[in-house]
Formats: sequence, C-alpha cells, structure tokens
Amino acid sequence: MVTSDISKFTLAVREAIVIVLASAALGFSYSFVMKKGLFLPPTPLIAAPQTVVPPEFISYEEAIKLFNEGTVLFADARNQYDYKLGHIPGAVNVPLKEFALHTSPLANTPRDRLIITYCDGEDCNSSIELAQKLSEVGFTKVRMFFGGWNEWQQHNLTTEQ
Amino acid sequence: MKRILDNDFAAMLVRVFLGFVFIVAAVDKAANPNAFAVSIGYYKLIGPDASLVIATVLPWVELLCGIFLVFGYMPRGSSLLVLLMLAVFTAGVISGILRNLDISCGCFSPDPAVGKIGWMKVFENSGLILLSVFSLFSRSERTTVSVLSHSSPEASDNAKKATLS
Repeated sequence: MVTSDISKFTLAVREAIVIVLASAALGFSYSFVMKKGLFLPPTPLIAAPQTVVPPEFISYEEAIKLFNEGTVLFADARNQYDYKLGHIPGAVNVPLKEFALHTSPLANTPRDRLIITYCDGEDCNSSIELAQKLSEVGFTKVRMFFGGWNEWQQHNLTTEQ
Repeated sequence: MKRILDNDFAAMLVRVFLGFVFIVAAVDKAANPNAFAVSIGYYKLIGPDASLVIATVLPWVELLCGIFLVFGYMPRGSSLLVLLMLAVFTAGVISGILRNLDISCGCFSPDPAVGKIGWMKVFENSGLILLSVFSLFSRSERTTVSVLSHSSPEASDNAKKATLS
C-alpha cells in the first residue's frame, strides 16, 4: 500500500515535470513567434495616433508643476467618502467603481484637456484603471499620479475638503 | 470516503470541472503575457523580470493542466500542479489582503478592472483546492490515460502479474 502510494506520487511528480517543461516550451515559443512577453520589441509595433498620448505615470514633482500651472484637471478615482475627507484642490471625484462618462463630472470636459488621475497611492491601482477607461472613452491626454493622495499629503501640499 | 475516491463518475466530474476552470482562466492570460505580468506585479512580491517569465509560462501550465484534466490525460501530474498553483495563488491573495492592497486578482483575466482580491476569492480557491486534492488522491483510473504509467513500478508489477496469470 505504502509502495503503491509512493509510486503514484512519483508518477504524479514525473507527469508534473513533463507538463511544466511542455508549458515552458509552448509559452516561450508563443511569445517568440507573436513578439509578446519577454520578446516584446522595445518600440510598439503600431504607433499610437499622434493626438493620443497613452496614459503614463508622472512623479509628484511633475504633478505639482502642472497643478501650479493651473491647466490640469485632477480626477480622484477614490470613493465619495474618501474624496470628501480630503482631496487635491480642484480635483473632481470620478469613483472608479461607478464610472460612467455621461454621469461623471468629466462628461462635458474637452477630450483634449490634460487630466491626471490619482487614488490613495502605491497600494491601489484605481488611478491606472480610471486612466485606461478615460483613454478608452476618448480623452487624449491622461496621466497617472501613482503616488496619489498619500504622497500629496506627505509633501504637505495644499488640500481641500 | 474510500468509496468516493473509487468512484469513476465523481472523479471524472471533478476533473472535467477543474479542467474547464483552468482552461477559462488560462486563455486570456496566455494570449497577453505582458498584461498578466503587470497583474503579477501588482502583488509586489517579485520583480518585473521574474513577473514576465512567470507570465510567459504559468498560463500555459494552467492551459495544459486544464486540457489534460478534461481529457483524463496525465491526471495525477495535472492535479498535483493545479493543487500547487492554487496553494500559491491563495497565499498571494491572502498576502495582498493582509497588506491592504486594492488590486485585481489576475486570476481569470489580466484586465485590471476584473475581480478584486478579497476573502471571497480565498473562499473560492479553497473549494478548488479541495477538488484538486480529491482529484489527486482519486483511485479511479478507468477514465484516464497516463503516458508515463507504463514505466511506473506499480504498472510494471501489474503487467507482470497479468502475464503470470
């Protein structure tokens, strides 16, 4: 009985090794042929239209600079409760979970307006998701301030309630 | 318990169910390794290079295991791998929850808007872990094929006995 169990376990391990090796071969081959993953070319194969800038991260220095210039609109991806507790001055609340363009404060915003999304900070990715959604619905200049609300507060920047 | 482990129908049902779950989970991720690497990166447990290597191989392990489980091909190896993957995924999700990470699971799709991590995900995975343990220890072999079993000591013994009788 014990010998039988050991042999079954040995068989399972051997089968598992075969499957992993076959998967690695398939995975690397697929990525190589399709130019994806590890084999993704350093430059995109299809250039984005010139008017559309894909969402990219900006540091807090860039965020403050744009904030001081006054030409940027901050979009707070957090929920309404967190937004009401405090947010970047002038920011509009666009909770990611309820996102629908026609009901959001951005409904009548020109699509080429520079928008910076943010959420709590490095432990959330709502800002990334919101930036993607905004790009999908036609906004052409979207950036993500990944340091978010936490970094804004750490640098003792002005806040609004 | 012994009777359930010997039951061909239960074993096949569990295998096919687990297989379909893993096939569905794998397809999108296998097709988009870069997006899946980003999902892995959200957990902040490993670096970007390691994430990319894992994202290149892991969905294919899921896919092959899923297909093999559905067709009963190398079922023990597939069940063992499924069990190991689920254990690692669940540990990752629990670690994310404990660190208050507000991230998507990356379980069924690399899309960051799909399936946030939470205790519900841990509960789901626990159910799948139980099924994979059952599949691994199932003694039913009537609906399965293993290419390596002919060389296993047990199979050799059985072959000898069959020859002698």
